[in-house]
Amino acid sequence: MSKKFSFLTIVLLAVVLLSGCTGGTGRGTTWPGLAANNDTAFLADGSLLYAVSIKDGKELWHYPASPSAKIVFYSTPVITPDGLVIVGSAGTDRSLVALNPADINSETKSPVEAWRFTGAQDHWVATPLVIENRLVAPNADGKLYVFDLSDGQTNKQPVEVIDLAGRLWGQPVTDGKLIFVNSLDHSVFAIDKDSYKIVWHEDLGGAIPNSPVLTTDGSLYVGSFASELEKFDPATGNHEAVEKTTAWVWGTPSLVENNLYFGDLSGNFYSYNTEEGKYNWNPIQPDGPITTSPLVVNDLILVATESGSIYGVDVDGQSKLWSQPGGKIYTSPVMAGNLVLVSPLGADAFLYAYDSNGHQAWAFKPEN
Amino acid sequence: MWELFISIFTSVLLWIYDIVGNFGIAIILFTILIRVVTWPLNAQQMKGAAAMQSLQTDKEWQDIQKKYAKDKEKLAQEQMRVYREKGINPFGSCLPTLIQFPIIIALYQSITRALAVTPLGLLQLSRSGSAFSFLDITSLIPLNSKFLWMDLGRPEGIPLPFEIGFLPYGFPILAIIVALTTYVQSKLTLPASTTPGDQSAAMGNMMSIYMPLLLGYFALTFPSGLAVYFITSNVLGIIQYAMQGKANWRNLLPGGNKQVVAKAKK
Repeated sequence: MSKKFSFLTIVLLAVVLLSGCTGGTGRGTTWPGLAANNDTAFLADGSLLYAVSIKDGKELWHYPASPSAKIVFYSTPVITPDGLVIVGSAGTDRSLVALNPADINSETKSPVEAWRFTGAQDHWVATPLVIENRLVAPNADGKLYVFDLSDGQTNKQPVEVIDLAGRLWGQPVTDGKLIFVNSLDHSVFAIDKDSYKIVWHEDLGGAIPNSPVLTTDGSLYVGSFASELEKFDPATGNHEAVEKTTAWVWGTPSLVENNLYFGDLSGNFYSYNTEEGKYNWNPIQPDGPITTSPLVVNDLILVATESGSIYGVDVDGQSKLWSQPGGKIYTSPVMAGNLVLVSPLGADAFLYAYDSNGHQAWAFKPEN
Repeated sequence: MWELFISIFTSVLLWIYDIVGNFGIAIILFTILIRVVTWPLNAQQMKGAAAMQSLQTDKEWQDIQKKYAKDKEKLAQEQMRVYREKGINPFGSCLPTLIQFPIIIALYQSITRALAVTPLGLLQLSRSGSAFSFLDITSLIPLNSKFLWMDLGRPEGIPLPFEIGFLPYGFPILAIIVALTTYVQSKLTLPASTTPGDQSAAMGNMMSIYMPLLLGYFALTFPSGLAVYFITSNVLGIIQYAMQGKANWRNLLPGGNKQVVAKAKK
């Protein structure tokens, strides 16, 4: 009997250990996606998408009404001009849903689905891009799905599926003629906005989980796992490495006038002058690896680190600790009205709001 | 310590993947490597099973069983004495199987880490590669997770035209093969029992029922790369036992073990 008990104990322990490894559908599988407008923050975090009031940090609603094992959110939602919130699931349902926050179901207290698409072959990590009345949504199956936002369908079907390669994790950008999208298979693609034909694609020698950046002079810049900052001619795809970095560049560089600000996984933070073609100053080291995109607030460039700190860096490269919510910050901070929103992993709350001086305005933690 | 273990596992997997260019084959080769490394454990398991088997026909042990048939406590004491005298480790046959659990857990974590289906997974992978400095992780990422009809980073299933709640991934062919091969392997290694009420045989029978169900459940629920490991490991185990003449094929037949008991009674 004791042997039987021991055996069953070990079996149960193994089940618990393995089950624990999966992370389940709750928080912690990976870092959340965060988007906001002036009134509401949308936090895609595990099995739920939360809508949080910017005014006081109170939950307005969550979707779905009850968590489902088939749904996992960590893709940053996109807010369309007509107010729909579109978010993709990385769960087994592989759904891309458009929610209407103006139409809340009185029974479930969740927003009504305006439409849904379930035909993708893999999960949704990238944030879709809205171009006029179209939605360009990259999926981890290596395809770019294009939807007509004005066709009124509730069971949405793409008007075009562009077969690229690798896993698409970064939001596309457009210059009005071409759509540019990066892929984990080391490629940068340029696609004609109207014909959906691939105009060019180039291999950078390292995975690219972020978005390209278009600068005011019409150039395209990409930071990648090849540990280089690459400059492209958007029309032809001709490119050159303009600067090296110490480690992988994860977050999308942020453009302020002619300067690109970005960090790498070694914890270095860079400022690159696109006019002069060189770094403005030697890289600074805040206090940890950087996967986030910097955020400009007044005269400061805010950079969040894995160590749970937010540093304010001025144009001369002088940095000081701006705020420290704790946990680990992988999600890029966003602006909502005059507040800075931060969602660290492993902190007491899911979402923190700070004023422009770095003082905490509120913290959001779901009740259940 | 555990993180170092995972890091080494992941690095070895990536190293093999770097050579063969296919993650499914990398898992199979890695499994063969694991079997080679754990060869002494398996040999100990076979030795323990053989010792247990020979004990069943031992005259002294049979006399003790008869003598203390009604005194379970005394029988247990005598059993331990006989084990000690004959140098038998009562856990020698099942311990190697249990030692596989940390390997399974480490492999599961290595597979999910290597395939890096989430951003956090990719970040962890960037740190795992450092165990082998010669590995160029940058050029390896992302790994191709497709193998035959499977995505090794996700549970396996053939899509069905209708939905079944407890089979969200479709018809689980791999989970069934895992359960079957685990059952065959555990039955083949089960020593023939010649005495009714034999505790070790009862334990072995219990394992041959629970293990297939458990590993089948793992294959149903976790990334299919783990199921590839289970199947490869089971098939290699069956081959190893068969080649060494230790496989007890009679156990695969319904009531095969009971026939041995009946013969022994005669």
